[in-house]
Amino acid sequence: MLEKLSLDGRVAVVTGGGGGLGTAICLSLAKAGADIVVTDFRVEDGEKTAAKVVAAGRKAVLFPADITRSDQVNDMMTKAISQWGKVDILVNCAGIVRGEVPKPFWEMSDLEWHRGIDTNLSGAFYCSRIVAKHMVDRQYGKIINIASGFGMRGRRGSFMYNIAKAGVILLTMSLALTLAQYGVRVNAIAPGLFQTLGPKEGYDALAPFIPMRRAGQPSEIGALAVYLASDASAYATGEVFSIDGGALFSGYAPINYAPSIPLNE
Amino acid sequence: MMLEEFSLTDKVALIGGLGQSWQKEMAGYLAEAGAQVALFGQDEEQMSAGVKKAQELGKEAMAIPVDVTSYRQVEKMVQTVLKKWQTIDILVNSFNLPFAKPLVETGPEEWQKAMSANSTPVFICTRAVGKYMLERKEGKVVNITSGLGERGLPNGTVYCASKGAVVQFTRALALEWAQYNVQVNAIALGWMADTVETSKKEWQDSLTRLTPLKRLGQPDDLACALVYLASDASSFVTGSTFCLTGGLMAHG
Repeated sequence: MLEKLSLDGRVAVVTGGGGGLGTAICLSLAKAGADIVVTDFRVEDGEKTAAKVVAAGRKAVLFPADITRSDQVNDMMTKAISQWGKVDILVNCAGIVRGEVPKPFWEMSDLEWHRGIDTNLSGAFYCSRIVAKHMVDRQYGKIINIASGFGMRGRRGSFMYNIAKAGVILLTMSLALTLAQYGVRVNAIAPGLFQTLGPKEGYDALAPFIPMRRAGQPSEIGALAVYLASDASAYATGEVFSIDGGALFSGYAPINYAPSIPLNE
Repeated sequence: MMLEEFSLTDKVALIGGLGQSWQKEMAGYLAEAGAQVALFGQDEEQMSAGVKKAQELGKEAMAIPVDVTSYRQVEKMVQTVLKKWQTIDILVNSFNLPFAKPLVETGPEEWQKAMSANSTPVFICTRAVGKYMLERKEGKVVNITSGLGERGLPNGTVYCASKGAVVQFTRALALEWAQYNVQVNAIALGWMADTVETSKKEWQDSLTRLTPLKRLGQPDDLACALVYLASDASSFVTGSTFCLTGGLMAHG
């Protein structure tokens, strides 16, 4: 029964595979048995991830691409499909968390707007578009979009990121309904705060705002990607899976800032 | 290959059921992942089948008949499990009484009945087991609810409310217990095979057509998600509702 959680014989493409979450997802997919096509515009980071996958005992190849350029994405995916003859799993993980320069809303440039939207939303659209036909032809495929809790909530001074991630969630839903009849499933993961950049200390200040009082470790997201990439989740499509230490539903009462009110002593 | 995070070796799982609960299948998957299981509730056939399944997989298992709406009985049941295995790592609450009637024809006692079958046992069992999890600063609670806990259905108002209560219970308790390292999550099901709703061929066909993946849910779908939410694999997941509805929730 539990063999459903295995990815033996599967091929996965992971965008942003050189980043913090992307690396962790590549490694977990590999440990579950998948071979990995890493894609990232940061060649050195992508190479490091590919080397880790190989060290974990699976095959890996790096095809660099700028996710905001559909010609590069198409080229990358064509190479990915021909590498091992198929792509079973696409994880859209590329994105910029800190792309936004703090400045008044009315001073944001067209360029900043397009950069934020293109990296976090258009990239997932381009990758899904080019792989979808291949998956439909094979009547098999899993697309996993890395969204964010911020795709479902607002945030002061944050526009492109939240709006793009909301778009990723709706891309997930509409694409899921579009591809359901072809055996292709599309789901999203909505991570909360993860310790992806730099040392733990930088995240400690934010920990009190998270119900579990800590940031997630990148390794903690991998198993969720494996669950969604595997046949164990065969009945889930168009869904958003939160992994955030409880953050999404704490909005009404930020932990440590909300009074603990004993209404009935 | 299965990731080691999914392993439940040496864990103790309590699986409560009422009505169509899939206790047997859940017990099988948890046992296969390595857990010892205790099934409680009043469906003796379901419970003994679950015990048998777990034992076949080489795990210890027991069935404990109990009225899940009685705090006293549930508390006693918890003591029995603790005495035998000294710990409870996982609690699964799967209580389901279908109910469909126009609201103006629904009597107050029917509202009470739906709530005491679908919502109240979740409170009672979580309350009784949770205090031991808080002491140990470790635990997993998984509440099985319905996609109708987040959506409406004509004549389903009372049922939807009773299932929605479980979703909100999950979210709020997840925050309350987050700092104690007890994760509380839910699995929301769509139209499942072999239920009252799908007992007639005609209903079964129309519900299958309605579902984007064009099939009804199977116990395996539920059990796989449960293994994820019951294991260390979900160490940063709390307050989440995993919807397994074949795509129904994405519809406009």
